[in-house]
Amino acid sequence: MAFEILKIMIKEEWRLHTSLFGNRMFAFFPLMIGISAFIASMFLPNIQTIMTTQQMLQSANYIFILFGVTIGSFGLTGKEILNRRFGQASLIAYSSRSLPVSERTIFLNFLIKDIIYYVILWILPITFGLVFATLFIEINTISILLVCGTLILSFLIGLSIVFFLSTIYAHSIKLLIVFLTIGLVVFLVLINFYNIGITTLLLPYSMYYNPSLSKFFLIMFLIFTPSTISLIFLKVDYPEKKRQYKNSLMDLSYKFKFSQHSYYIAKDFLDLKRSEGGLGKIIFSFLFPIGLTWLFLYIFLELIPTVKAIMIFAVFLGIVSASIYNILTAFDTFNPYMFLPVKVSTIIKSKITSYLIVSIFSLLILVLATISLNQLEWFIPALFSFVTISVYSLSMTIYFAGLHPTILFYNSKIFAQYICTVSPILFVFTIVSILDPFIMLASPVLLIPASFVLKKSYKKWDKWKPLSI
Amino acid sequence: MPVIKINNLTKDFGDLTAVDKVTLSIDKGQLFGLLGPNGSGKTTMIKMLTGQIKPTNGTAEILDIDVLNNPIKVRTKVGIIPEQETPPSFLTAEEYLEFVGSIRKISNIKKLSEQWFKLLDFEDQKNALCKDLSRGTRQKLMVAQAFLHEPQIAFIDEPLINLDPIIQRTLKDFLLDYIKKGNTVFFSTHVLEIAEEICTQIGIIDKGKLLHNGPITELKNKKQHLEDFFLKLVKEG
Repeated sequence: MAFEILKIMIKEEWRLHTSLFGNRMFAFFPLMIGISAFIASMFLPNIQTIMTTQQMLQSANYIFILFGVTIGSFGLTGKEILNRRFGQASLIAYSSRSLPVSERTIFLNFLIKDIIYYVILWILPITFGLVFATLFIEINTISILLVCGTLILSFLIGLSIVFFLSTIYAHSIKLLIVFLTIGLVVFLVLINFYNIGITTLLLPYSMYYNPSLSKFFLIMFLIFTPSTISLIFLKVDYPEKKRQYKNSLMDLSYKFKFSQHSYYIAKDFLDLKRSEGGLGKIIFSFLFPIGLTWLFLYIFLELIPTVKAIMIFAVFLGIVSASIYNILTAFDTFNPYMFLPVKVSTIIKSKITSYLIVSIFSLLILVLATISLNQLEWFIPALFSFVTISVYSLSMTIYFAGLHPTILFYNSKIFAQYICTVSPILFVFTIVSILDPFIMLASPVLLIPASFVLKKSYKKWDKWKPLSI
Repeated sequence: MPVIKINNLTKDFGDLTAVDKVTLSIDKGQLFGLLGPNGSGKTTMIKMLTGQIKPTNGTAEILDIDVLNNPIKVRTKVGIIPEQETPPSFLTAEEYLEFVGSIRKISNIKKLSEQWFKLLDFEDQKNALCKDLSRGTRQKLMVAQAFLHEPQIAFIDEPLINLDPIIQRTLKDFLLDYIKKGNTVFFSTHVLEIAEEICTQIGIIDKGKLLHNGPITELKNKKQHLEDFFLKLVKEG
């Protein structure tokens, strides 16, 4: 029975995507990821001239933990993620209502299905891309396969730990703070009093160089224990009583009266506040990855002290910051507006304003990072770089995916177009930031094409039939 | 004087023709019922007439406004109740009406909302989140949002399907009163009893083709039941 549910869920996920943009466009997505990984791998010998293999492997493991972290907040969203992904019409996700299947069984299948999809769509293609590249560069194929094995483990550890933390958050914020404090204390004690290096704590990486059965079991423990506990305590109950709220739309929209879209913005904030997880969604989807990146930067600073960390951080922050737009659009399809006199472009413009308001968080993080890294002299170029990359990548997201980035980016053609327009800029920004941060003062020039792209986007999406999801 | 003019309207979805060369006009003050079996093209028709989807061929004018070129203008003038009620999940019922009021630039929205809460008897639900409302209450909310701005034409897709008999009666009386004031209603349904009871004009559609269009009095004068007429027409195709 359980296996049947998983099989049908996999089919359903496939059909959900292929019904939106066709079999081929979805099927090509992993191929494109593989090709990108292959191209990136071809530069490995060049990167090896500035970084050692160990440093590269360590960085890759961090990135995969981060990847796991960004998608692992199932516990937080629980029912809502099912709602958003499948909609009320879904027969499988909601089959516990009409069939003798528990919510937990459904969610376990959903979790396994999602892991299978992420492995097929991202991790395996990256592995194949890397392995294929070994035919052309002097890197051992076996070691690449082992590396990929460690990367999958890092991904699963990241996913499992955040699944655990987000499940705790769904029950009690206080409990989460207690757990995080204990975690931090244990981490600091291990590092400072037991002299255990951070690389030893990065178990999959550590196992690559010093494999041992105990490390393997510890990794399995880190993957399975938090996930199992999370599944046991998962909050997926349907509320028995209706939630009542005092009318606050107009009061809130009055606060945003500087914008002609004030009531749309007020609605966005009420959506964020009242949906499951509330601000926790921002914490786990945005602030948590940023926090981890910040931590990794300290490690990078140790590895490559010459790197102007705040500049690299600003570029990364700009890209991650654009993902707030994905969160804002995830709660709002165009369906409720179709019978009202509203253009798609109006909703997009209101989302941009909401995005800019929430981006104050990102700006604060940049300020804190600058102070903490003691790199005040580069704050202005970092700020310019952050604003430009964030607005530029947002404009491209909107042009290619409109109000549906979380869905349309799985269309291989759309994703390829996005990558082709954003990655060269990202590459140039990173290199220039390392060479001479002050060149970044000229970066706002990019805002001109960005605003042109935005104007084109409004026209494009007003003409386009909205996705029925 | 026709307020809805449809000429040769066609919609293809790939190989399927959902609406096939429909020509029709509806005068001011009519309560027009578009009747047809499931999947006959009723919802597609309403979506085209309100500019939610583009026709493959043909033209439509609502209050002399070309729908194809001015869908937003049409939606400003008319009220629409979609087949599936979809108020945004995380607003309360009252906030949703205020939200619609803001979009439609209605000044006395608070007062109007209260009137609708009272008329459709769901005042006790006004602070509940839309996502937590029952289907019937969400349907009531969608009825309220469609009439808030007192439109001259209302397009209603399966209007009474989730409502209890008391509210059904209230809404029927409201619609009859609404057309008496010179407004027009275009509604689709497959519940023939409702159509027979309140419609002034009926159209019968099957497999995208309009099989019949005429005043309900024609049938009443011939002492013919709508159900018999409908079944005969649809069977003959």
